[in-house]
Amino acid sequence: MSKVVGIDLGTTNSLVAYVKDGVPLVVRDESGDGLVPSVVSAAEGGAIVVGREAERRLLTHAQRTAYSIKRFMGRGREDMQHEAEHFPFRVSGEAGGVVRIGLGDREFTPPEISAFVLRELKRRAESFFATHGEVDNEVDRAVITVPAYFNDAQRTATRDAGRIAGLDVLRIINEPTAASLAYGLERKHAGLIAVYDLGGGTFDISILRVEDGVFQVLATNGDTHLGGDDIDVLLMDRVLGGRARSAEETQAVRQAVIRAKWELSEREETTLDGKRFTRAEFEALIAAIVGRTLGPVRQALADAELQPSQIDEVVLVGGSTRIPLVRRKVEELFGRKPHSELNPDEVVALGAAVQADILVTGNREMLLLDVTPLSLGIETMGGVTSKIIMRNSTIPASGSEMFTTAVDNQTAVDIHVLQGERELVADNRSLARFKLRGIPPMPAGLARVHVQFQIDANGILSVTARELKTDVEQTIEVKPSYGLTDEEVERMLLDSFEHAEADFAARLLIEARNEAENVIQATEKSLRHPEMAEIEKTELAAGERQKIESIVAGLKMVLNSKDRETIQNWTRALNDATQHLAEVVMNRTVKAALAGKNIEDV
Amino acid sequence: MAQPRLADFFSFLGLPRKLRIDMVDLEQRYRALSRQFHPDYFYNAPPADRRGAVERSSYLNDAYRTLKNPIARVEYLLKLEGLTPEQSAGGSRQGGPPQSLLEEVFALNEELDEVREQKAAGAPPEEWRARLDKARRPIEAKRAEHESQLQALSERWDAVADAGGANGDRRKVLEALRERLLERNYINNLLAGIEKELSA
Repeated sequence: MSKVVGIDLGTTNSLVAYVKDGVPLVVRDESGDGLVPSVVSAAEGGAIVVGREAERRLLTHAQRTAYSIKRFMGRGREDMQHEAEHFPFRVSGEAGGVVRIGLGDREFTPPEISAFVLRELKRRAESFFATHGEVDNEVDRAVITVPAYFNDAQRTATRDAGRIAGLDVLRIINEPTAASLAYGLERKHAGLIAVYDLGGGTFDISILRVEDGVFQVLATNGDTHLGGDDIDVLLMDRVLGGRARSAEETQAVRQAVIRAKWELSEREETTLDGKRFTRAEFEALIAAIVGRTLGPVRQALADAELQPSQIDEVVLVGGSTRIPLVRRKVEELFGRKPHSELNPDEVVALGAAVQADILVTGNREMLLLDVTPLSLGIETMGGVTSKIIMRNSTIPASGSEMFTTAVDNQTAVDIHVLQGERELVADNRSLARFKLRGIPPMPAGLARVHVQFQIDANGILSVTARELKTDVEQTIEVKPSYGLTDEEVERMLLDSFEHAEADFAARLLIEARNEAENVIQATEKSLRHPEMAEIEKTELAAGERQKIESIVAGLKMVLNSKDRETIQNWTRALNDATQHLAEVVMNRTVKAALAGKNIEDV
Repeated sequence: MAQPRLADFFSFLGLPRKLRIDMVDLEQRYRALSRQFHPDYFYNAPPADRRGAVERSSYLNDAYRTLKNPIARVEYLLKLEGLTPEQSAGGSRQGGPPQSLLEEVFALNEELDEVREQKAAGAPPEEWRARLDKARRPIEAKRAEHESQLQALSERWDAVADAGGANGDRRKVLEALRERLLERNYINNLLAGIEKELSA
């Protein structure tokens, strides 16, 4: 069997984890780093760069580099109007449609950008498994996490990203719930747990009851546009003070304020923009942002019908919970010290891996019962929302509604599905418009169309309908308001294969260049050997040195071409030509060592 | 393909059709059935079984949520026994005030009108707030009275159900329960009206 992984697709960083012998582990690179920055950059040649390298390109090619794309998932152009100015990349898209991100001459939807990050994680996991001698190291299935407060469109966009990356998305699970699963493994809990999750771009609060290995979410709340990013923007405004800078300079300032923010979690003061910046100043600046998390916490407690003092344990998740002010506020509200034993950056991915393991092994020791964060409703007369499934309903959840016709022989009915807590349609989130077709012609009001709304364990909606008088199943055309159609996802998947080849070729070219540079460097070092003049006279053939030098010159000339084979041919030629010289130099080194000289001196 | 019809919420959870429910027992049943039906455990099953798991889990979640809440439980029982709110026998059309509450409703409406006048005339908030607080008290007392009546009626229903009582007896208890529920809704609306006036 191929491998199954858990993925935390974060606003700032992403991670992949897996379960080995019942223990969840983060996949790390050779340097022990598990985080892949959720940054994607489009190089001039069309190659896509992801992660640390893309993050570096923010300082050199800001306009070709996308970050914080999670904030764009499942959103429309209008939603991002106010935020777009903070980003170096182009934000476009049709009115009332999916937002688009422009990098260089290419345009992407947010799920496509996220798919690049997912593909990088997949590749990373596969090479990790390969080097760790695991058989069947292909990664084709994953559990991916989303903020608990993500709506249907945002969840669907995340699932689409997985599909575009060539992953079978077994399940979308909520980040705070995933974190509680990871914590549940550490110690055997029973009781009421609050998970406070403040990440780079989103905030979630979930209240759970844990008993007999069942993790039951009682209530959840949050804000999908509240996180560390907002703090960075505040700090940037302070430094820039409205002064215009180039996109790259602005990114340099952004990285500086992020460093200052981190430092103030450890120290009382730091320097920012050459000036002293104290923790007290920082806290005064961000107090309002931290304060915005408390409303959702109180609402979740009220929905769970609990007082803060009844909570047995509070768990902190997300990088922004390292900020001392955040910890203090949470502790104040609950009257107890929050847990942070597990790395707040990694705990969500670990939990996703646990859930992935449950799904494929059918292990019934643990069970996660999550809720839908927002009420689901339909538009009724006068632009009012009629709720069908209430927020905090345990999922899977279903609800139904009866529809009829308004005029004689009407054969279709329009249905507008919404998500949100407000009364008026205009204040809620439009999820989709459905057209019920194929209603048999009959006098007005006689048809009885039973429409069933089903929210699955991913928190994603599906709709079926049946006309009861004739027992005819209705066809439903789904027009997601801010999503991609199945055909679009399919096409993007195919596109990604084409580009994957281009990306792969680009990577091979870079590797060939690196190899060539290494050989040139080694050769030039040998040629600079202190005894080179003597070596040439006594040990090298006539013209041998000149031949080596001309091949080095030739290789340098082709080095920046895009012709990988030519670079490789020249590299091979240089390797062959320097074989003898390398042996001579090596022998001299050995002799010198035997003669009692230190090798370092040679 | 038509799905087999699922049992009513009480039977589905293995409970008698009674109004007193032990919460700890209900939760244990809910967790045990969740472990049986949850879609997580049907990941490798054929599509029909997977669909079935989603349907049964949804139904279980609905059943648990309904029976957990004492008021939703009574409403569900009434529906199950064929009593819908529109069929009320006591002349209390839905929307209009029930007979037993007429006095309180008239008194309160007068108070609210006067408070609005006071507000419009720019009276200090302490004055009309105190009035509203006073007006709220008799209605809250009425609600407390209703809670205990509802409790007593629920016990009577359980006794009738245990005794396998005659249809006439069952019907009488159910109708009384429905009256109390309608009045309760009305009382809650009155209290909400006061809250609205207080916060405006």
